[in-house]
Order: sequence, then structure tokens, then C-alpha cells
Amino acid sequence: SNEVEETMKRIQSHKGVVGTIVVNSEGIPIKTTLDNTTTVQYAGLISSLADKARSVVRDLDPSNDLTFLRIRSKKHEIMVAPDKEFILIVVQSPTD
Amino acid sequence: MSDRRAELERKKAKLQALKEEKIRRKREKELKDVEEAANRVLLGTDGDRKELDEMLSSLGVAPVSDVLSSISSANSITPEHSMNHTPDTSLQPNSLPNNVGAIKKRTPTLSVVAVQSTNIPPKETVVYTKQTQTTTTGHERDAHATDYYDEYNLNPGLEWEDEFTVLTYDDGQGEDEEGSLPHLGGFGSKLPPGILPHGLPQVKEVQPAVTALEQEQAKQEVKEVRELSEEEKQMIILSEDFQHFIDRAGRVMERVLCESVDFYTDYSGGPGEEGLDEKSHQRISLNRGFFDERWSRNRCVTSMDWSPQYPELLLASYNNNEDSPNDPDGVVLIWNTKFKKTTPEYIFHCQSAVLSAKFARFHPNLILGGTYSGQIVLWDNRVQKRTPIQRTPLSASAHTSGFQHPVYCMSVVGTQNAHNLISISTDGRLCSWSLDMLGQPQETLDLHRMQSKPVAVTCLDFPHSDVNNFVVGSEEGAAYSACRHGAKAGITDTYDGHQGPITGISVNAVQGGIDFSHMFLTSSIDWTIKLWSLKDSKPIYSFEDNGDYVLDVKWSPAHPALFAAVDGSGRLDLWNLNQDTEVPAASITVDGNPALNRVSWTPSGLHVTVGDNQGKIWVYDVAENFAHPRHDEWNKFLYTTQELRNNQVDEELEKLNFSVSNTPLSSMSSITSTPLR
Repeated sequence: SNEVEETMKRIQSHKGVVGTIVVNSEGIPIKTTLDNTTTVQYAGLISSLADKARSVVRDLDPSNDLTFLRIRSKKHEIMVAPDKEFILIVVQSPTD
Repeated sequence: MSDRRAELERKKAKLQALKEEKIRRKREKELKDVEEAANRVLLGTDGDRKELDEMLSSLGVAPVSDVLSSISSANSITPEHSMNHTPDTSLQPNSLPNNVGAIKKRTPTLSVVAVQSTNIPPKETVVYTKQTQTTTTGHERDAHATDYYDEYNLNPGLEWEDEFTVLTYDDGQGEDEEGSLPHLGGFGSKLPPGILPHGLPQVKEVQPAVTALEQEQAKQEVKEVRELSEEEKQMIILSEDFQHFIDRAGRVMERVLCESVDFYTDYSGGPGEEGLDEKSHQRISLNRGFFDERWSRNRCVTSMDWSPQYPELLLASYNNNEDSPNDPDGVVLIWNTKFKKTTPEYIFHCQSAVLSAKFARFHPNLILGGTYSGQIVLWDNRVQKRTPIQRTPLSASAHTSGFQHPVYCMSVVGTQNAHNLISISTDGRLCSWSLDMLGQPQETLDLHRMQSKPVAVTCLDFPHSDVNNFVVGSEEGAAYSACRHGAKAGITDTYDGHQGPITGISVNAVQGGIDFSHMFLTSSIDWTIKLWSLKDSKPIYSFEDNGDYVLDVKWSPAHPALFAAVDGSGRLDLWNLNQDTEVPAASITVDGNPALNRVSWTPSGLHVTVGDNQGKIWVYDVAENFAHPRHDEWNKFLYTTQELRNNQVDEELEKLNFSVSNTPLSSMSSITSTPLR
């Protein structure tokens, strides 16, 4: 778990990163660097979006699968790395 | 009056008779049913039993019926159990006497009936979806596009394969029929095209009967989804799955984070847009540096290698960190030059300082290291461990006979199916290993000089695709050529010329028109680099431009006349022998002037990496017109070497002529001033 902490810290200390969240497949946050309300919000919304994105990819081609999801908005970029059991969500604001 | 009474009585009697008949019929029917059921059961079991009996009797075993007849008494106990259950099971006591009777009539076959009680509560239609349920308003309609094909169980409400959902409509959808038709066709709903959906209230998905227990569980699940206790979170964090996930996803995420490009920049809006690189005309320019605060700080870079399968992966091994004795002495990091992220892809360490590290050429996942303690260690990047998965034993047959001799040189030679790891330690022992068995070297060879003194080997190089002959540099300042097999296994030739230990050796490995693999370079502590040919025991040329220990030299893999050298004052020199043999064609000094310990070319020949003694690796770009050879470079180099040889011969002649020892520099300058043929 030391390496887990190291990795999370590295990611969090990256330029522009606002927050990092790890959720499990049910959308429950496991680890987070943001406050509780924001975390719960992101967790719920992003995990359902990731599920939807995955089903889109699978529907278009059943042998395909979702590997990464990036949502760019005017203010932030949300990067989602999904997996079978967990999802890693990182919010970064662009360095301008 | 009496007639009427008689009539009434007759009628009553008739009614009674009718009733009795009815009751009788009912009972008969029941009995019949029971009999039939029992008979069916009996028949069923009986039939099986008859078969069983036949089989068993054929085997000489007593038929099942005989055996079971002894248990007939047990049967009578069971009705008591079944009487407590619902009326369904009331069949049992009825059937059992029948059963027993039937049994007594026929062969004493007993059936041990397993009494199963079932409790079927009334059917409940339960609608349950996991998604957020919003109140349907107006013309809103969920696009259940592929519910019919619900292969991946996207809609958990459908449990059976042939269930499907009917598109639901609200009231007032009638007007949208036209517009909704294409939807129907497109989504492939079950409704045939001609039939339009009626705007009646909704038909929702129906689950099969959910028992009360399941329903409660579902409710509980919904509640539990919200929160996980701290302990559960901690347990998840400590689980191996989670660590694997973080390792993988973290790696990808780091790469992505570094690449964040703002592609919305509006060039028309910004006047201060810098022009293209001015460094295009520079021959060497700094590209980036690799440095890890935690693992490479204050450690000297001892070797570098490139992955043959993934040309962007750079392997670097580091010496120990004197400032932190508790950290492992040997560290090996794998860097990725393709992405901008500044952290290594993989981190490996071991207890002893790693002096040479190589990718196992034919195994993309294995990394080999030669250590200060004389052990060869093996890492695997598929495994989550950072420590070696295998090491050679500290036994007498390897490099650790008696003392432990550091292994400075390693090389993987051979082909995919027949390859060996060659390692040489500073006691002159060459070991050839098979990667499958690191318990013992396949063969050992001791490199001795003429007086059977062992050679302290510091560097090694094999000519391209040669598995037998190689050159080594030693601490005594002499280079040797040797071969592994054959009659003259061992040192073949000596190349004396340096006045100090040789730090680096490199055989020309360019594939091209003319083969120059007999040319090799050596760098030494005596501030010089010497160019040799395998055929001559004297150097062809000596490069004396450096003012400090020259710590490594490497030929370019692309250009036959280009090589790089690094020295202890932080200087990286690129020499192009076709242009000038006196001074390097390009030279750059690293920031801070650290001593540069190792230099390496990327396989493309377009980048040079240097490792310094502080743990930093610098990647330099080489200008393409400089790095790429033209067609005539090979011929030019041949010409150059001819010239150099001739100069050498002339010099020797001059030396012989002059009795007074003259400085080589002045004689050489006098030679070069004369016009050559």
C-alpha cells in the first residue's frame, strides 16, 4: 500500500491536478483527495458515464472495450481510467 | 298433504342422492388422481428400479427392491412430517397408504421419497431498476435500444433471455406516431412495423416472481451502496487487485497528465508566438533529462541499454547512494522516451550495486543485471515485485570463487533459439549462461594473458552478430581480442597502447556497404581515445582532445565514421572522422559539469544519452543531417582509415629516424601539414 500511496501522491502533485478519486465498480469512492460532497458527486456521475461509454463501445463492436475516457470542458479536464473493478478519476485544470 | 310431503321427501332424497353422488364422484376423482399420481410416481420409480434390479442382478447383487423392503417401516414415519405442511402435501399421506398397498401388492419395492416442502407465496410483480429513477414526464422515453439483445445484462431487470421490454409511452403520444416510426425500425423493437403503439398507459418490464427474501436483499443493497466503512475501504486498498489496478492505471494516467496539450490555442490571437526552433542548425541539442528524486539521486549511472522490442524504452542502472545506506544499493530504472512523463516506467532494485544492466534481447520482459557482488540478477516486469526474481548463486563456479568479483560486462549474444548471456568479471572469468538456468553457468572461461595472469576486464564488446570473437578492455591499459570457442579459446591478441585503465570499448557496428567491424575504439583514464584495427597491434590513431578522464566511447549505430565520447568534466563530444580527426565535430558541456560516466546511442542514431555521476540521464538530439550518413560515407571512411594508417606508418618511420624522442603531437602536426595524396 506504500506504492499505492506513492502513486497517488505523484499523480496528485502533478501540475494542474485538482483532485484524484478512486471508485469501485459500484460507484463508491475508495480513496479521494477532494471533499466528501464533491467526491460523491463525481463518483456517481462519472461512474455512470463511464458505464454508458463502455456500453457504447461494446455495442458498436462487441470485441472492443473502453480503455480511457477524457472529458474536456472549458474549465477542466476529467480523465477516467476504467477497469473491471475500479475506476481512477483525475481532474486537471489546463495549464495556461 | 301427504303427497306433498312424500314428494318433498322424495325430492330431498333425490337431492341427497345427488349430493352424495357428487361427493362420491369427487372422492373417486380425488382418489383416482391420487392413484394416478402415485402410480405415476411408482411407475416412474418402479420402471427405474426394474432396470436397476436387472443391472444389479446381472452383477450378482441383490436387487434394490429386496434391500429397500427392509426400510418399508421407515416410510410410515414420513407422513407425520408431511402433515404439518400446506394442503399440497396432503397428497402424501393419501399416496403413501396407496404406495404401501401398491408395494405390498407388487414386488417389495420401496421408494425413499424425499419430502420436499415448497412454499409458493402469491406472485408479486416487482419493478426494480438500479439506475436513478426519474419521474417520466411528458414525451420522455428511454431509448432502450438493445434491451432485446440484452447480452451483457445491461438491463438487470431482464433475467430471461427471451424477455424484452416494450417501449413505453405516455398518454398523448398519438401525434408522434409518424415521427416515432423510424425509431421503431431503428431500434429493432418487437412491434411489427404496421402496428402503431397505442397511447395507453405503460407496460413496464416484469420480473419473474421475486420472493420476499430476495426483495429484502435488494432493498438492503440499495441502502448499502451509498457508504463503505473505513475498514472496508482499508481492506480494499490493501487487496492485491487494487494495487495492481493502481499500478497500471497510475502509469497510464501519469503519461496522460504529462501530455496535456492545449489544442484550443488561437494562433491568430497571440502575437508573441515563438518561431520554429533555432536549434535546427545545432548539431547537438538537449532534449530532456531523466531523473528520479527518490531513486536516482546521488547515484552514478553505471550502464544504459535500449530495448530491442520497444525502441523507446531506456534501461539505466545505478550505483549505490552513499548518502542513504538504508536504501538498496542497486537500482535499475526503465525510462520511456516516448512520453513526457518524468517518472520511470518501472523501478527495480537489489541489494548489491548494479554495474551493468541489459534487456534480455529475446525475452521482452526480462532485465538482467550484473552486480558488484559478482551475482547476475534477473528481473521480470510482468511481476509486481521490484526485487529480482532470480539470481545466480554465490558459489564457486560463477564469478564468486573465493572473492566476489564485480561483473562490469554483460552481453546477450546469439539468436532467438540459441542465445547466451556472457558475463565477465574483473578476475578475468568469462561465464556463459543460459537464461533458463541461472543456477550454474553453461561454460566458464578464464581469460589469461601470456604469463597466465588473469585479465581484469572492465569493458566488453562483441562485433555485430558475432558470437565467438570479442574485444575486452582491461585495467592494465591493454585491450585484448579473444574468442570463446575453438582451439585458441581465450585471449588471442593484445593491443597495448593506453597508459591507464580502459574505461570503454566499442566495435564499429554499422551495417553498410563496407564492413568496418575490425575497427574498434577504446577510451581510457589517460585522457585519450584510441582507434584500433583488429589486424594491427598498434593503434591507428589517438584522439587527444580531452582534458580529463575519458569515461566512455561509443560508435554511432547509423553512421560509420561518427562516434560519441564523454569525459569527467561534463563534456560530450561527437567526432566525425570523415570531417575532422583532430577535433570533435560537435561538442557540448552538460550543465553543472558533472562527470559523465556512460554514453549510449539510440538504435536510430538520432539521439545520444549520457549518464552522469549524480544520477541524471541527459538525452540529446543529434541533427539529422549530421547523424545520418550519406552514401559515400563508407568509402570516405575507408579512405580516412587508410590515411590514418599511412600517417601512423610515417610517424613510426620518423620516430626511427629521429633518435631524440619527440612529442607525438608535434610530429603529427607536421605530418598533417604536409599535403597528402
